[in-house]
Amino acid sequence: MTPDDLDRILSSEDDLAPSSGFARNVMAAVRRRDAAPPALRFPWLRFAAGVAASGVMAAAGTVLLLRSAPALAAMTAPLAPLATVAPELGWAAAAAILSLGLAFAPRLLARR
Amino acid sequence: MPQTDPDAEFVARAMAGDPAGFEAIVERWQHRIVGLAWRFCRDRATAEDLAQEVFLKAYRSLGSFRGDSAFSTWLISIAVNTCRSRLRAEGQPLLSLDPERLFATARSPLCSIEEHQRAEAVRRAVLTLPERYRDAILVYYFEEKDLAESARVLGVAEGTLKAQLHRGRELLRRRCASLDPLAAGASMEEL
Repeated sequence: MTPDDLDRILSSEDDLAPSSGFARNVMAAVRRRDAAPPALRFPWLRFAAGVAASGVMAAAGTVLLLRSAPALAAMTAPLAPLATVAPELGWAAAAAILSLGLAFAPRLLARR
Repeated sequence: MPQTDPDAEFVARAMAGDPAGFEAIVERWQHRIVGLAWRFCRDRATAEDLAQEVFLKAYRSLGSFRGDSAFSTWLISIAVNTCRSRLRAEGQPLLSLDPERLFATARSPLCSIEEHQRAEAVRRAVLTLPERYRDAILVYYFEEKDLAESARVLGVAEGTLKAQLHRGRELLRRRCASLDPLAAGASMEEL
């Protein structure tokens, strides 16, 4: 097949005529779209209010924690001897959490 | 918007919220858009479905039409992108022989069935080319070999389009090398 043959064939394409009701169907789809309720917009106002409230709560918590530092120190004093084994305790806690996580993961996934 | 754009009045009416304006656009462009979609899929139902999607997209995006290009360029760009996206998402539809279509377009007794099948095989072979060559060839011939307009529709430089056309036609020529008039029927089965 020569390039001229290809050119002739590709130039001589007869386009498909649309079905008789095509334009009517398109306009019906357009009207359906117009009649449909508008898509819900993202609730930016509520989102902003939530972020602001979270910020205020975080700030208030920080202030409260700083103000009650002496009281906290007194409360945690009995735990001071544990400081020497803190790394080991940390590892043990992490292992326990990991084990529990692995044990419960299949059940949680099965519920979905 | 250029003053000479024959769609300007309908576009303005549609943008003003007049459904009759958009209906006029659909009436005016349905043949071209269905024809373009047909070239991308060679299946009537898919072509009309694609064309409907094109018009709906155009309707939704009318507000973004600034008139920097002709309305036709804008609309055909939407059509090409829609066809391209659909083919990427769903793959090329299974191409089958459509006897009604094959015989309906035979122009004269001189245009034999074999010749017609051969031409159809070549057109289907275009759809097997890599995307950039396929799009270049389909749009270039759809736009009646208007290189500048085809480049605008595809959003590429004219030089790039020329190179894509050259490479695409060469690939196509190699793929269709076995298509002689007598082998046309067998080739259609393979495609």
